[in-house]
Amino acid sequence: MINHHPKSELINAFVAGELPTALSVIVASHLELCRCCNDKAKKINQHQADDAFSDADLSLNHNDNSQENTALDNREFANHSLEDNKLTAHHLEVNNEFADMFAAIVADKTTSTPATLDPVEIKVKDNTYVLPKALSNIQRASWFKLGKLSRSNLDSSENEIHSHLIHIEAGGEIPQHTHNGYEVTLILSGDFYDELGEYSQGDFMWLDKQHKHQPKTKNGCLCLTVANDALHFTQGVGKILNPIGSLIY
Amino acid sequence: MQTATVNYPKTSHNDQMSTDNTGALIDFMRAIATQRCQHAFSQVFKHFAPKIKAISIKKYGSEALAMEIVQDTMTNVWRKAHLFNETKGAVSTWIYTIMRNVTFDILRKSKSSQEISISDDLWPLDEYATEEKDTFQDHLQNQEILKRVNELPNKQQQVIKGVYFHELSQEQLAQQLNIPLGTVKSRLRLALEKLKQNMGDQHD
Repeated sequence: MINHHPKSELINAFVAGELPTALSVIVASHLELCRCCNDKAKKINQHQADDAFSDADLSLNHNDNSQENTALDNREFANHSLEDNKLTAHHLEVNNEFADMFAAIVADKTTSTPATLDPVEIKVKDNTYVLPKALSNIQRASWFKLGKLSRSNLDSSENEIHSHLIHIEAGGEIPQHTHNGYEVTLILSGDFYDELGEYSQGDFMWLDKQHKHQPKTKNGCLCLTVANDALHFTQGVGKILNPIGSLIY
Repeated sequence: MQTATVNYPKTSHNDQMSTDNTGALIDFMRAIATQRCQHAFSQVFKHFAPKIKAISIKKYGSEALAMEIVQDTMTNVWRKAHLFNETKGAVSTWIYTIMRNVTFDILRKSKSSQEISISDDLWPLDEYATEEKDTFQDHLQNQEILKRVNELPNKQQQVIKGVYFHELSQEQLAQQLNIPLGTVKSRLRLALEKLKQNMGDQHD
């Protein structure tokens, strides 16, 4: 049962393609695990499409005619099109500024079918996990291990935003810390708990400065995290980690 | 962070327009997919290219970038027309999905040395053109299945519920029930055969 979801604003921005890569990847990964957010995203996608293409202000002046004609003559053209497949771009009256582009596109007779990738499996400390499809083409660095913690950097190629896979073995924990920026966590497998509650597979948490926490796991977990700044450890021995906080996140 | 504006209320006039266009656009898409029909493509092109350009200029303020987005989007429409499934959603939703995906990849590549496109992993084309009716399960059919499952012998119910309702692997189930994997497999086979028989009058 997934109890923690991305806010609607975040899903909106994700569907609009406006989030940085790392955040897009973590939201997409949540959608793969969460049916209700996935359905929500599809609905938003449809609304955004309707809005984008029905906005009257967007039609450029010199295209006004072709727009109207399209609406009126569509059926007729559709019938013609089945018989006459040898027209040139000129005859097709594709708007001048697009004429070259149109000609170049139709000159390519090949079709394109994206290859379906097998899900990526990873192995951490003898546990095997299947990664979300969203991570299929994201490069992963080799695992850096520190006690019960393992971390692999994900290359989303954005300087200020860091993305990782974090594995915590059963009984492990991350020392109490806060975040200078934001820290987004998605549980890909297993569960953990902290002062704020319990979380399990699919849960999506957005934490920032006002949250201080010390995640612990009974059964072990694999998480995807995105943070835009290093962690700040706040307690005891954990403080030693501050200079190397950027190593863990 | 930027958020997208989504205006849910729509005028009936708009609805009418888009319904009219949708039928014709589907015909064009079919002609492109099955016959590589340039004429049909020119109609889709004329309808969408100027809009895509205007949307992109408004959003990014660059004509060069906007033309690149138009080119990549319309190239995909031309080359992937056979992947469009009219039972799954509107042409405009499909093209919007392509436009968003190519834009994301263009911007990502321009900001970094990344050459790999990942947008189709984030917004799978086949999924994002899917309308709700396909993803929502048939409520009544589910009830029917549940009823039939509950009529099975207890041991068969256990394996069916474990595998299909709790999504356990057969290995996990064998462990949990403390029975050999082979027994799980044979019980599952028997149970499925029985279900098929019982539901056969409606589904064969």
